[in-house]
Amino acid sequence: MQHSQKILTQDLTTSPSIEFQEVGLQLGGTIILKNVSFSVAPGTIHCLIGPNGGGKTSLLRSLLGQMPHTGDIKVCGTCKIGYVPQFLQLDKTLPISVLDFLAINCQRRPAFLGMNKKWRKQAVDTLAMVGLSGKEERRLGSLSGGECQRVLFAQALLPMPNLLVLDEPMASMDEAGSRIFEEIVQDLCASGVTIFWVHHDIGQVRRVAHGVTCLNQSVLFHGDADKVLTGERLFGIFSNTSREDESCSYVAHADTSQPEPVALQGK
Amino acid sequence: MFELLRTTLQAMSHAGDIPTIFQYGFVINALLCAVVLGPVLGGMGTMIVTKRMAFFSQAIGNAALTGVALGVMLGESYTSPYATLFGFCLCFGIVLNYTRGKTGMSADTLIGVFLSISLAVGACLLLFVSAKVNTHILESVLFGSILTVNDLDIIVLFVVTALCLGVGLPLYNQMLMASLNASLANVRGVKVNLLEYIFIILITILTVASVKIVGAVLVEALLLIPAAAARNISKSLRGFFCWSVLFATISCLAGIVIPMQWDIPVPSGGAIILVSAMFFVLTTILRSSLPSFLEAKV
Repeated sequence: MQHSQKILTQDLTTSPSIEFQEVGLQLGGTIILKNVSFSVAPGTIHCLIGPNGGGKTSLLRSLLGQMPHTGDIKVCGTCKIGYVPQFLQLDKTLPISVLDFLAINCQRRPAFLGMNKKWRKQAVDTLAMVGLSGKEERRLGSLSGGECQRVLFAQALLPMPNLLVLDEPMASMDEAGSRIFEEIVQDLCASGVTIFWVHHDIGQVRRVAHGVTCLNQSVLFHGDADKVLTGERLFGIFSNTSREDESCSYVAHADTSQPEPVALQGK
Repeated sequence: MFELLRTTLQAMSHAGDIPTIFQYGFVINALLCAVVLGPVLGGMGTMIVTKRMAFFSQAIGNAALTGVALGVMLGESYTSPYATLFGFCLCFGIVLNYTRGKTGMSADTLIGVFLSISLAVGACLLLFVSAKVNTHILESVLFGSILTVNDLDIIVLFVVTALCLGVGLPLYNQMLMASLNASLANVRGVKVNLLEYIFIILITILTVASVKIVGAVLVEALLLIPAAAARNISKSLRGFFCWSVLFATISCLAGIVIPMQWDIPVPSGGAIILVSAMFFVLTTILRSSLPSFLEAKV
């Protein structure tokens, strides 16, 4: 992790916090999100969990300004967003190398002229950090799914963000990749980056998250990961029940009609 | 300026300093266009291939037929009806992109629909105006004719090229980023929809400006084939771009010079595309025989 230390100690301005206030989203007559309200503390790792189709990615895209939502989403503080999408839909035969892809994303000079010196050094260091050292010139289409996700992660760190938004980036990653990813995310958080992470691996959420929000159209529960991730709740979320049934059962388990925010504590 | 260049080159040709084909002014005109057109079409072709919009310029080429017919009907010069050509084709491209944005339909389906409509309208109008103009004029629009290239055509081509380079190069990365992942591009502050329109406009004006040399039917091929050939043998964006520019430029020059030099009675557009097709065949053979390009079969 020598390289990572070098990159992660960059000067970061104050970490942003995020506040969702009664966010709603309806697409084609279908309600995707309803009265979603919770906040993400600055400089923490906040995971968004919930069943498939629960609106996690939609909420994340609303945060990024890509969905026509109602309600307010406030990002407080100076914000430099890094974003890792679920996957990259790519024509695998396209002759675009890993460095080309990073050049396209971070520099102004046309990427076919090559990466400029300033960015090249940072790109090589970042690729080493995500475990892709020596694969800079490899064609993007020849990489495995997990390697491609690492490239997507690397692009999100160029330039270094202070808000990192992750949309299930570890779906096709192996154990080693997952571990590297986890370490980097924790290092980033330690250096003051706010991380908002859509995630399915509850074990990893328990290990790394400071705050958790469970979403299934509306917020089912929200709070400190240690406190809210009970076995009973998790069983209910990921068992085969319909969306309506789940929502009902959760409100009942939480003993409140509204999700109760719990103060986030840094780990 | 062009006259001075032509006179100089013709004098040099008469003196035996350069090949005899330079004795003809129209060849010099055509070569001037080729030198400009080749690199730009080659470069833009890489973007067309990446964005999978190969048939868009075909649709614009077909719309150019309608544009020419409209120009003749409205009383424009039938050799250079640029006002209606640019006007109609730009409207056509913008409406196509707007419809795509509004319906969310896939590009190939929508381009196919618009391509058919433009061809049908063009065919109807051309039949109507064919009584008014020599049918060879229409043939030259379809397949290109270096004989009819004049100073106005060269100026139009130079202006369009300058626009494409001036706008396309600074936005190259952003356009590529938007085509690879629109969501990611948006997070990085790229105006994805605006860029789509800019790209459509650039391709449209480039296609229209190329009609005289390459022909309405074949201009799409010159945008596509050199880039496809370059893709066959490239592993990086630099190789992709450079090979595409090289193939397109050589195709344009050879497609004009070879028929002239050996008195082969083929239209310039056809000859240009045949040369570029040769590059495609060669690179395809190279790709399928080199182990470094091996891919999974299914």
